[in-house]
Amino acid sequence: MKGLVKGLGVSLKTLVSKKVTYRYPDEPLKMPDRFRGIQHFDPEKCIVCNQCARICPTACITLTGKRNPDPESKQKLVIDTYDINFELCILCDLCTEVCPTEAIVMTNNFELAAYSRDELFKDMAWLAANNTNVRKENHPVKTAAKAAGGGA
Amino acid sequence: MTRFMEQPLGWGNFLVFAASAVALLAVVLFAVVYLIYFERKFIGWMQYRVGPNRVGPFGLLQTVADVAKLLLKEDIIPKRADRDLYILAPVLAYFPSFTVLAVIPYSEEIYFTNLNAGVLYYIAVSGLTIIGVVIAGWASNNSYSLLGAMRSGAQMISYEIPLVMSILGTVLISGSMNIRTIVLEQDGWFWNWNIFPQFIGFLVFVVAAVAELARTPFDLPEAENELVAGYHVEYTGFRFAFFMLTEYVYMIAMSGLATAIFLGGWHAPAPFLDFIPGLVWFLIKWAFCVFFLYWVRATMPRVRIDQLMTFGWKYLIPLSLVNIFLTAIFMEIVR
Repeated sequence: MKGLVKGLGVSLKTLVSKKVTYRYPDEPLKMPDRFRGIQHFDPEKCIVCNQCARICPTACITLTGKRNPDPESKQKLVIDTYDINFELCILCDLCTEVCPTEAIVMTNNFELAAYSRDELFKDMAWLAANNTNVRKENHPVKTAAKAAGGGA
Repeated sequence: MTRFMEQPLGWGNFLVFAASAVALLAVVLFAVVYLIYFERKFIGWMQYRVGPNRVGPFGLLQTVADVAKLLLKEDIIPKRADRDLYILAPVLAYFPSFTVLAVIPYSEEIYFTNLNAGVLYYIAVSGLTIIGVVIAGWASNNSYSLLGAMRSGAQMISYEIPLVMSILGTVLISGSMNIRTIVLEQDGWFWNWNIFPQFIGFLVFVVAAVAELARTPFDLPEAENELVAGYHVEYTGFRFAFFMLTEYVYMIAMSGLATAIFLGGWHAPAPFLDFIPGLVWFLIKWAFCVFFLYWVRATMPRVRIDQLMTFGWKYLIPLSLVNIFLTAIFMEIVR
């Protein structure tokens, strides 16, 4: 009997307490920094090594390079086209881990819903323009090793 | 209303009565829509979440959307179901719930009838819903449905007895079964309300009313996750909406009865607060009764069917009998 009354008191207290519901989509949802969202591509940094396309588990990255028009620079190839097919991309972050120059990094954006599959095929221009909320830590293993090495 | 009822019945009177019945139906339907909305909101708040808040401002149009969905659904009647009884059952379940609203006095001038056997009328007519429920379970041609209907019928019948006997104490005190007289006998300060001399009766009434309404913690007949929605599992669309409507109109009626019989009806807690109209006081007390039903639903788990039947027959009925005896002895000594 006493338990019933105490239970009623508990639910009355929760009536006036703060609710845990997120106000998404009225308020943006803040993700932690290491969240793997949609990629950001910086064409200046890419050296067309093809590691990202090789390691991608779903083969969603297709890229082509061209001979560097600048004869002075050491870089042999520059990036010509770079497409990610987001119907296939699983946001697994392997392309970021393997990229030697951090040309492809992930952001914290995740809203990519569209009404047509055509809109999910993103090209280099779109990926370059997707530069908000970029992740700060892109190679967690390397960063941890550097911190440990630097400390030790 | 007294004015219209004292004159002989003519066309003018009849039109007033018919129009007020239609007005009551409109008010009740509007009230049910917002009772459902506030139930979802309050239970949500008590569970650390917000209730519906996207459809319309603050989610106010959520129930309207739900009702529209139910009306637009396909009307399926199972092939081997008893067709006439299947169609009759929701009607049989709903009409008593609306008819009992006639005997509840909403304020000094707003009432629909002045029956000298108001309490008897309420209990007798509300029993007719049980027939509708059992017919629904039988006509659906579904074993789970029949099982749910049997349990629901057993529960409702078992708890009608303590419900009546708990009200009998107030009838003894007021000397009449006329609900309006019972309310009139509670005027004055709030300590004249029947809840104080009849607190045992009030406790029995609260438990029996929650069980009679088949609400949590006694909602096994319609437990969504236990009996696959019980007796109304084969009903879709508008027919299902009828069963939901029945449940909510019974909540309105039972809360109105509790307000009239135990909480002093339209009387203010203190005579100097008389300037606030009686209908407002009635609505405040009625709203508290409805909120109590939501509060209990958000708090307590479900009881088993055997625990429910044991509790009703072995504890509530003897307790309400004791209440009647004590009241009768007290009335003899004091008078």
